[in-house]
Amino acid sequence: MAQIPNLDNSPLNLKSLREQSQRDLVKILKDIRGKKCLVIEPKLGGTLSLIIQTSLLKEYGIELRHLSAESVQTDCSKVVYLVPSQRDLMKSISSHVHDDISKGLQREYYIYFVPRREIQCERILEEEKVHHLITIGEYPLYVVPLDEDILSFELDLAYKQCQVDGDTGSLWHIAKAIHKLESTFGAIPNVRAKGKASVMVADILDRMHTEEPMNSSDMALSEINTLILIDREASLPFLCTNSYYNLKLCAACLQVDMITPMCSQLTYEGLIDEFLRINNGSVELDSSIMGVQQEGKKMKVPLNSSDKLLKEIRDLNFEVVVQVLKQKATSMKQDYAEITTANQSVSELKDFVKKLNSLPEMTRHINLAQHLSTFTSKPSFLAKLDMEHTIIEASSYDICLEYIEEMIHKQEPLINVLRLLILFSVTNSGLPKKNFDYLRRELLHSYGFEHMATLNNLEKVGWLKKQESKSNWLTVKRALQLIVEDTDTANPNDIAYVFSGYAPLSIRLVHNAVLSGWRPMEEILKLLPGPHTETKRAGFTSSPSFATLQGASNGLDKIADGRRSLVLVVFVGGVTFAEIAALRFLSAREGMAYDLIIGTTKIVSGHSLVETIFERFG
Amino acid sequence: MANVSVAAEWQLLYNRYYRKPELYPLRWKNIDLSRNKVACAPFGGPIAVIRDDSKIVQLYSESALRKLRIFTSSGVLISDTVWKNPGGRLIGMSWTEDQTLICIVQDGTVYRYNIHAELIEPNVTLGKECFEQNVVECVFWGNGVVCLTEGGLLFCIPDFKVMRPCQLAETGAEDLPNCMAVIEPKYTVSGNVEVLVGIGDRILIVDEDGVQTVEGEVVQGLVQKMVVSWDGKFLAIFTHDGRILVTDINFKGVLLEYNCESALPPEQLAWCGLDSVLLYWDDTPLLMVGPRGDPVHYFYDEPLLLIPECDGVRILSNTSLEFLQRVPDSTVSIFKIGSTSPAALLYDALDHFDRRSAKADENLRLIQKSLPEAVEACIDAAGHEFDVSRQRTLLRAASYGQAFCSNFQRDRIQEMCKTLRVLNAVRDPEIGIPLSINQYKLLTPSVLIARLVNAHCHLLALRISEYVGMNQEVVIMHWACSKITASLAIPDAALLEILLDKLKLCRGISYAAVAAHADKNGRRKLAAMLVEHEPRSSKQVPLLLSIGEEDTALMKATESGDTDLVYLVLFHIWQKKQPLEFFGMIQARPLPRDLFISYARCYKHEFLKDFFLSTGQLQEVAFLLWKESWELGKNPMASKGSPLHGPRIKLIDKAQNLFAETKEHTFESKAAEEHAKLLRIQHELEVSTKQAIFVDSSISDTIRTCIVLGNHRAAMKVKTEFKVSEKRWYWLKVFALATTRDWEALEKFSKEKRPPIGYRPFVEACVDADEKGEALKYIPKLADLRERAEAYARIGMAKEAADAASQAKDGELLGRLKLTFQQNAAASSLFDSLRDRLSFQGV
Repeated sequence: MAQIPNLDNSPLNLKSLREQSQRDLVKILKDIRGKKCLVIEPKLGGTLSLIIQTSLLKEYGIELRHLSAESVQTDCSKVVYLVPSQRDLMKSISSHVHDDISKGLQREYYIYFVPRREIQCERILEEEKVHHLITIGEYPLYVVPLDEDILSFELDLAYKQCQVDGDTGSLWHIAKAIHKLESTFGAIPNVRAKGKASVMVADILDRMHTEEPMNSSDMALSEINTLILIDREASLPFLCTNSYYNLKLCAACLQVDMITPMCSQLTYEGLIDEFLRINNGSVELDSSIMGVQQEGKKMKVPLNSSDKLLKEIRDLNFEVVVQVLKQKATSMKQDYAEITTANQSVSELKDFVKKLNSLPEMTRHINLAQHLSTFTSKPSFLAKLDMEHTIIEASSYDICLEYIEEMIHKQEPLINVLRLLILFSVTNSGLPKKNFDYLRRELLHSYGFEHMATLNNLEKVGWLKKQESKSNWLTVKRALQLIVEDTDTANPNDIAYVFSGYAPLSIRLVHNAVLSGWRPMEEILKLLPGPHTETKRAGFTSSPSFATLQGASNGLDKIADGRRSLVLVVFVGGVTFAEIAALRFLSAREGMAYDLIIGTTKIVSGHSLVETIFERFG
Repeated sequence: MANVSVAAEWQLLYNRYYRKPELYPLRWKNIDLSRNKVACAPFGGPIAVIRDDSKIVQLYSESALRKLRIFTSSGVLISDTVWKNPGGRLIGMSWTEDQTLICIVQDGTVYRYNIHAELIEPNVTLGKECFEQNVVECVFWGNGVVCLTEGGLLFCIPDFKVMRPCQLAETGAEDLPNCMAVIEPKYTVSGNVEVLVGIGDRILIVDEDGVQTVEGEVVQGLVQKMVVSWDGKFLAIFTHDGRILVTDINFKGVLLEYNCESALPPEQLAWCGLDSVLLYWDDTPLLMVGPRGDPVHYFYDEPLLLIPECDGVRILSNTSLEFLQRVPDSTVSIFKIGSTSPAALLYDALDHFDRRSAKADENLRLIQKSLPEAVEACIDAAGHEFDVSRQRTLLRAASYGQAFCSNFQRDRIQEMCKTLRVLNAVRDPEIGIPLSINQYKLLTPSVLIARLVNAHCHLLALRISEYVGMNQEVVIMHWACSKITASLAIPDAALLEILLDKLKLCRGISYAAVAAHADKNGRRKLAAMLVEHEPRSSKQVPLLLSIGEEDTALMKATESGDTDLVYLVLFHIWQKKQPLEFFGMIQARPLPRDLFISYARCYKHEFLKDFFLSTGQLQEVAFLLWKESWELGKNPMASKGSPLHGPRIKLIDKAQNLFAETKEHTFESKAAEEHAKLLRIQHELEVSTKQAIFVDSSISDTIRTCIVLGNHRAAMKVKTEFKVSEKRWYWLKVFALATTRDWEALEKFSKEKRPPIGYRPFVEACVDADEKGEALKYIPKLADLRERAEAYARIGMAKEAADAASQAKDGELLGRLKLTFQQNAAASSLFDSLRDRLSFQGV
């Protein structure tokens, strides 16, 4: 099965989007005549594997390499670099060029920046005195379809750059990406944003509309009805970096939702990501786990909706997944037994053979689930889950503090410690100074002073900080009913099933925004950090789609041609698989008149989020 | 019949009719074509006139200096200028496709003029050989030229847009050619220009790479003149014995042959469309030769100039401009004498209808079946007419007929009206562009508009582009730029008003481009005012920088949210200003400041320190120093234990002092102090143990390493030095002892005193090391019953686990334990019974 997802069932024509990206890339490669060596930045290479098959690239006379510090070994006289516009990569490239010059090699160099060339990168090339040797181009890849309902902007570092460095380039990128979507699928009439970064994206998007006005005929064609921007990057850290004064002003607020990604995800796909890391829609495993006897060999297992079984179980709570798989296996066994004993008609045989086709999928997921359960059955995992719930319920401060302290003393992996600590700090809107300083000292003592930089970053983004006012977590939790007792994970009636009892805050917000807009929940929104905005684009005020939206709060959708209207939900700063599962659950529910498409800077987990904030001195 | 007069003006050549309506009586005065060199642009373009310096002419009341004058096709003067260019005689003059006048003089210099007779710099030269040998002849085509030198060399400018001359292959012949003709690059197989050269009695094909001789029987003997048809498929040849031949371009087959009975070649030889060839000697009538039949003679008593067009020839004389064309088939079908075609009957029906005669109906009945084609023919014929009243009559006939047609495409008439309105507008003598409908279609509306704009007919261009539904941006933009150039006397504010008034007509127009033009014309202030209105930041910001408005540029870039633009401004200011001024500009602006910091963090460390110092952010400097201390450590020169630890510690000390400057950073200050201390201790440890394993590990790791090495005193020392809490100390020591599997020491340690965190660390260490026996020593000591139960469960002792759990009275725990022991049937039933008992108690 291919890693490139099958997009046939998508509510938007994402296939055309992907084909455009393919054509763009092929054109770039074709335009450079002759044999060439294509050097791709490894992460970007992963992204590209969702767009085009590498074997296809080889047809254009290409030697493929990954960018690294070592110089490029090739016989080709043309070297084409395909890299994201990141400063640190420029040094490697210039050192390659210098290396070639010192060896007396004469080559033609091309750099294609993804998604666009940036002055800061070219500046470094100039300072390294190689700029004049290089032909520079762009590969405008702003959006990659990950699956039939997920678009990724592939901005791994968006959160960190925005929050720690104050570099809001990624926000521009997101706006540009949405703008590009609009030029394909029509302007989006309704825009709702929550959180400072989201509002900024909405503002930039507005600017783009005034700068490059769309024809009114395009406006009529809008396939996407509503855009909802939700923000991981709360306003809080934004202001913190500016001055202490500001810090005090908004210390009372919570981040829009930093809590959800810090909790352990309990859906099938979420768990796979937590334990095994999903990259670009596939997970890499020892082949022995998948029952292939090849010692030490790794294999890639693609995870996307082309896999029918996965589509069925990916968003279920893991407990249920095990049962479902068991059931399926049993029923297949029964079928098999029947087929061997009784006389069957041809059509029944056919049905059976059809079922057999799903056998490889079955084995794959049974193997995976088995592997996962070795992690989930560990007492330490259960204890951690317990602790997460204790923290979220905010019931007993001391137990949590002690637990985290002990983790530090035992020198458990730093990221695990930080995830809990962040959860703890955020729900309490910071820690009392005594505890704050104590825990930081213990962290430095246990893990080394080089983590001072990480602690500094954590404070900048507001994940771990001194308490300056009372937390309003309890109010928010109650108002949005974030804790749901007695969730039935097998037949869920609320999104809380994805965390076995905790309903992700971000999704509650989205749900409300989709149904009725921000207005009915102004009061709650004020408790959360960052401004919120709601705009209707000019020329839409009297359009029928708007009326539909209003009517939809009654659970009815009146679009004439029978299509469901489409909502693009963009998570600025990343989204977890569990949240995606919750959204899919919502959109599949009865009375929900919308199809949801998810846009995200990147699919994240608590682990990967904390990792981006990591910065050592060393 | 009324139609007779129309057809009476036609001439028949073979089986085709020709007509030559007068387009304009020329408005110019005292222009004699025979005294002048004249260049006429095709597609009804302008006419350039200059006195011919190769002829001896009598000067009347005029200056001896020659004047280059440019007229419209109707003879209205557009512009003139005095010709003062050096370089010798003017050899060739022609208009390019974008209506630039190319003038080539003897020494190979190429002068270019626009339609306003302004010289376009720089001049281009054809090269050294041309300069030395002199140019004797030029053959132009739409977008290029081939020049012949006295030495028989051929030079070519293949594209006037690029203006890069190149030499063609040498013919090797001694004589100069008799004649030349060019096959345009777009019609050749190679894509390069090919020149047909008649030398002696051969014809050569010359291009950049080589020379070929034409083989074949078709042409024999000397060739005096050649012309290629406009579609590049046919060639007209005038031979030495006075015959005119037409062959296809590959010299295969003769399509036309006629003996002109003149040994002298004609002065002008031109294709009329693709159907006939015109020959002009200045003392005989104009001769038109067709494929068969007798030629047609036209009598003139004036010198003529033939201007070939795609569908005919324009004939310019001193007093008038005519258009000789083959009468279109639709027109023939209507106006031919005695025609009974449906179209003719329809036209006639309209006539009856106008005269209220019942014959109109009779006519219509006659052609009922073929009415649509009759209507179509009338529309088509209307398009080909230059006479407005006749256009109108034909269209009325069409419209009259259409009323009786059920299935006719109704927008055809409307479309034709639209086209004709445009054509009539530009044919107006004031504008003077006599385009035929075929020429208009070939030229395309957008090129027509560009030409109008170029001739400064902005209003008409604007109206036309609006009328045909094209983007008006080109027109308005050109107007604005021309306006700025032309209005040096108007003050900035007033001019801005005038410009804005028009610019706002077009959405999405680039104000920045207009502003850039204003700046180029030395009106910086106007530029600044204009750029203010540019909505696209990506265009606005660079321009602001170029006119020195850095502050505004920085503001606009920040507002746009496009970080790349902010960087553009940042680097610009950074380079231009003193550091302190630069710091001042960015300090109060969060986005530019943060971007600068982020960039400088990677590449300009020292400069960043200056920035933080100048803005008083000492803690940031401290962080930088601290970071540097690590880089020193990573330096391969700094092998462990070398004196390089000295500088590292010094840097950390410095950082600590900086942190201490501000109250808010006591924690960081303390941490830096501890770090320096740790490095010193680790250094000592490395010296004393002679093992380079301590530096850069954490305090906890240092303690563990000491214990693992058995150096308990050192471990103790580190503990007291850093005030390590008892809790942490116990975890560390227990784990360290377990790593060395020193169970004895572990037990001793457990008995030193009552452990401050209970016995759980001991149990965990043993269980993790898979030492059941050791674990059992500590499990009973666990105070919490639940913990005890789980610990038993982990080492597989179901019974004990169950006991502990039931003592704890925790049903949920029992259930979980049961799951753990699922495989073990005996244990499982045990848990069930215990739980039952528990719940019973609960009731």
